[in-house]
Amino acid sequence: MSANYGPGRPDARAGIGLRAPHVGELLATRPAVPWLEVHPENYMMGGAALASLETARRDYPVSFHGVGLSLGSAGDIDRRHLERLKTLVDRIEPCLVSEHLSWSTSGGAYLNHLLPLPYTDETLAVVASHIQEVQETLGQSILIENPSSYLRFRHSTIPEPEFLAELARRTGCGLLCDVNNIYVTAWNLGLDAIVYLDALPTATVIEIHVAGHARNDADSQTILIDNHGSHVAPPVWTLYREALQRFGPVPTLVEWDTDIPELSVLLAEACTADGLLEAARARGGHARAA
Amino acid sequence: MLALHDLQRVFKGGLLADDEETVLAHIAGDGLDPRARLAIYRHHVLTTLTATLESAFPVVCQLVDKRFFAYAADAFIRDHPPAGACLVEYGAIFSEFLEGFPPCQGHPYLPDMARLEWAVHQAAQVAEVRPLDRARFDAIPLDDLPALRFSMDPTLSYVSSPWPVDKIWRAHQDGAEPAELLDLSAGGACLEVRGVADGVSVRVLDPAAYALRHALAVGVMLEEAAGEALAVDPSFDLIGAIHQLLQDQTFTDFTRAT
Repeated sequence: MSANYGPGRPDARAGIGLRAPHVGELLATRPAVPWLEVHPENYMMGGAALASLETARRDYPVSFHGVGLSLGSAGDIDRRHLERLKTLVDRIEPCLVSEHLSWSTSGGAYLNHLLPLPYTDETLAVVASHIQEVQETLGQSILIENPSSYLRFRHSTIPEPEFLAELARRTGCGLLCDVNNIYVTAWNLGLDAIVYLDALPTATVIEIHVAGHARNDADSQTILIDNHGSHVAPPVWTLYREALQRFGPVPTLVEWDTDIPELSVLLAEACTADGLLEAARARGGHARAA
Repeated sequence: MLALHDLQRVFKGGLLADDEETVLAHIAGDGLDPRARLAIYRHHVLTTLTATLESAFPVVCQLVDKRFFAYAADAFIRDHPPAGACLVEYGAIFSEFLEGFPPCQGHPYLPDMARLEWAVHQAAQVAEVRPLDRARFDAIPLDDLPALRFSMDPTLSYVSSPWPVDKIWRAHQDGAEPAELLDLSAGGACLEVRGVADGVSVRVLDPAAYALRHALAVGVMLEEAAGEALAVDPSFDLIGAIHQLLQDQTFTDFTRAT
């Protein structure tokens, strides 16, 4: 069965996040970037932002990368938020819809961060149920992104990549493999990034994210912070090459959300990713499900 | 083992209430103090929500300076975290919070400034406003007009204050002349806030016009709204004011009260 992720998946080339400071220039100059990605939460209340998204959508495929559904919260999904997402999906027709393996809401409070989950059978059941509800409401499959982590819960019993694999198996969702998040999580929790990559079922990886991170020294230990505020670090490009070897060429999105540079800088990062994708295509050999 | 619901509740307590001992017991150290690990999440939540409030209340932030604003925002966020993920909606009760925030007691104009800024913030969110069907309105017999209730341009809101918050607000907009020390005894204002083509307008209304428009905006019947305006000023030109409302394209719809 081939999952329906939305109308026309993007090409296996590098896209960029559509950021507010770039909108004017992008709409004026129409750079040849193959697709754009946005946080749907920024457009749910309409306004001028939605108007410019619709203008961009006329010329570019747009994918939705949600941050507000809180799929890992123990309670019910926020139906009002899900309905707002559906309204926006129907209006914009994104080529992909993704969300996070995390939680943000508890007791009616939205905590504005992708908070960590214990990887247990209980959490698996909760997240799978929410993914199924979302997929039924939207009428399409979604992608789940691996989080960047700064802690591990003592009572987790399932390794994170196996947890993601099981979610994909139970719900038919796809995976958004954030290579920077794997790198950051592996560093912060003492994991092996290659072992992590090897544990992801290759056919389920539908999109890849790359981004920059920051180094933060606390207690004379270095913690990496996933701040999407700089160029992709060299070891993350290396890990990205490893990912492409395993998954083949996959649509790749360059994220840069803080200390946003000139549009040309972001486009140059996408070019670097395109070069690596081209090399992966040239190597060929890896058969992927269409 | 803690159920997921309870873990998330104590994690929230660890982030917002500094009540961390319970949740810390469930966090592995892995070579770093679990306290430091939790602090990374707390720092992100508080700084990003503070930034959200700064962008909704830039003038309040400038009036009290960033450090004080962050102190007030920290208290607000811990007591009133967002109710949903669309953060343009976050901050509606910040003015009420400032009213009751003891360090703000010496600055009684701040809550009204926050009220004005929230009205400006909300006005900027709406892009499309459907105009009134004039033909349908013009077909209403004059005798039926008093019983009408109106829907107004959704970007409209009304703020009145005993303080000159409009003058203070204007003095902090881009391109404003640097203000000499603003005279807080300069008197208050009745303000109409509205989204316009290139931003938001803040307009001073005379008190009777304010009474009329504000009453209509909360859905009061025209007859009753007119009564409120005339109570403020018995010589109020009601007909002229209604013509002005139509000319300003203030209404988007109407219903007849039954």
